[in-house]
Amino acid sequence: MTTIEIGRLLRAGTTGFVVGCRVNQLDAPVFGGLVRVPLAGDDQVYGLIYDIHIDDDGLVRQLVTAEGVSEAVVADNRLNRNVPVEMSVLAVGYRQAGRLYHLLPPRPPLSLDVIYLCQPDEVRQFTANGRFGYFRHILRAKDLPVGELLAAHIQQAQAAHAAAGYRRWLNDAAQELITLLRDDYPTLMAVLGALGEIA
Amino acid sequence: MSLDFHQVHQQVRQLGENAPLRQRKLQALRERASRLLSANAEQQEHLRRKVAELVEGYDPNLRCALPQAEALTSHRPLPPLPAAATLIAADGSQINPDRHQAVEYGLINVGAIQMRYGSSHAPTTWTRCSLLYDEALYTPTGTLTDSAVALRRDLSERQALVELAAQAAPPVITFTDGPMELWGAKDNDGAAEFQQSLQAYLAVLTQLRDLGVTTAGYVDKPGADLVVRLLEVAAAAPADLPNLKHSRPLRGVTDTDLYRETLAPGERSAVFAIQSQSAANYRGDLALHFFYLNVGHKDRPWLARVEIPAWVAADPARLDDLHAVLMHQAGILGGRPYPYLLHRAHEVAVVTQEDRAQVTQMIELELRRRGVPVGEVSHKQANKDLPRRARYANR
Repeated sequence: MTTIEIGRLLRAGTTGFVVGCRVNQLDAPVFGGLVRVPLAGDDQVYGLIYDIHIDDDGLVRQLVTAEGVSEAVVADNRLNRNVPVEMSVLAVGYRQAGRLYHLLPPRPPLSLDVIYLCQPDEVRQFTANGRFGYFRHILRAKDLPVGELLAAHIQQAQAAHAAAGYRRWLNDAAQELITLLRDDYPTLMAVLGALGEIA
Repeated sequence: MSLDFHQVHQQVRQLGENAPLRQRKLQALRERASRLLSANAEQQEHLRRKVAELVEGYDPNLRCALPQAEALTSHRPLPPLPAAATLIAADGSQINPDRHQAVEYGLINVGAIQMRYGSSHAPTTWTRCSLLYDEALYTPTGTLTDSAVALRRDLSERQALVELAAQAAPPVITFTDGPMELWGAKDNDGAAEFQQSLQAYLAVLTQLRDLGVTTAGYVDKPGADLVVRLLEVAAAAPADLPNLKHSRPLRGVTDTDLYRETLAPGERSAVFAIQSQSAANYRGDLALHFFYLNVGHKDRPWLARVEIPAWVAADPARLDDLHAVLMHQAGILGGRPYPYLLHRAHEVAVVTQEDRAQVTQMIELELRRRGVPVGEVSHKQANKDLPRRARYANR
């Protein structure tokens, strides 16, 4: 299995975790991307990237006031200075003893655990398991950009399924969202509006 | 709260009441100093002779600027940047041995950063950490003092420059924060340590010279009055020379006051040598010189003093390259001009309180692992470390 390491765990809880990575690792992780953190044995925790941010500090704020910043200074700040890119991940499931669950993991990953981007076959496996049970973790997280997160994730998952010949996954996912949000019209409209951008 | 702010307030009020008068007095002195600067601008040879007469006859401890070829009021505009150069900046940080802690140790951390002008590659950083423990905590005359650790740190910074410059593509320009002159305690206990460090430092400077390196010390917001003192010598009548060492008619005026209005952004002042008893340790090519540089902007001048050895002062091309590079480096930080690489060297070298706590913990764990008893924090320190009051929170 091809593995793309995207960073290491900074801090974690049951419902999610924060990953730090170097700037030169930033090409791989994307908003809405499905990631996994290996636990003991073959167990994994799965999550969706819902935020990627780069903090500033005093020196960076000072540099932006100057006229022109040379490439060497930019490279110095991105590569040498200890200001990691942070990615926030929402826990959406786990694998234990070979079986996938769309439940919150029994325990969070540990500091400095390596995080990997899920490959298309892993995305297919996770998103095809059961009946979109992991959607409720996303819909419950009212502080997140739910519509955009679902749209980004569904777009990536649909691409993975389409590559394997199944092109109806997007329709199935949209139908499930309509069912789940039938009593929350504002959220439903926001989600459908975002999905409309990718359809 | 231990400070009696009522007492402080009364004295602050007094300070405030005195301030306008002091400001007017200082302004008058500044104007007088400026007039003296203009009047003596082309008197370099005369001033050198007068300083020599004063030093030899009356005041061997005189510390002042010594004019060289350039007029006192000369101001050189910003030259172009060199086409290529390797810049290296170094800084150091330390943990001083503290008998009040559970374990007594010292630590010197030197950080350096190197970049190639004209390259888009990220600079490279370098650190070296030295733990001082056991016999290293002692000197021939006693225990290692804070100033002795600082001396070793200063020396280590320059040694790092030699090591890196030897591997770097020429031309190489190096700088460190602070004066080039090595400072240290010269009392009985510190004198031997200082002399040993000084000889090693002079050897390092010589190595930098032999490598063809342009090296400098950068002093931000300088408070020196070396040129002002020279002007006091210039203004003194012959009959006043014997007692001049006790007389400071321009006290309160700094060199920055003199040059703030006369140096445009990017300009440097004349180069001066340093006349002082301690500077006499630096001879020949190592003799200490300095110039002032306005790294500020229009309507907001900001002066730095740049100290250089004679081999740089005597070479107009080196001087110009250094001048241009320092201005460019200072400009990188925008509204607070300060050489970018010096700030980064500081970041690479700095040892925080948190770092100190971790090192202390590492040592304690290692000692315990080996079955060696660990000492205790002194009661004085333990009581200082007691947590402060916490606010009641109704949870």
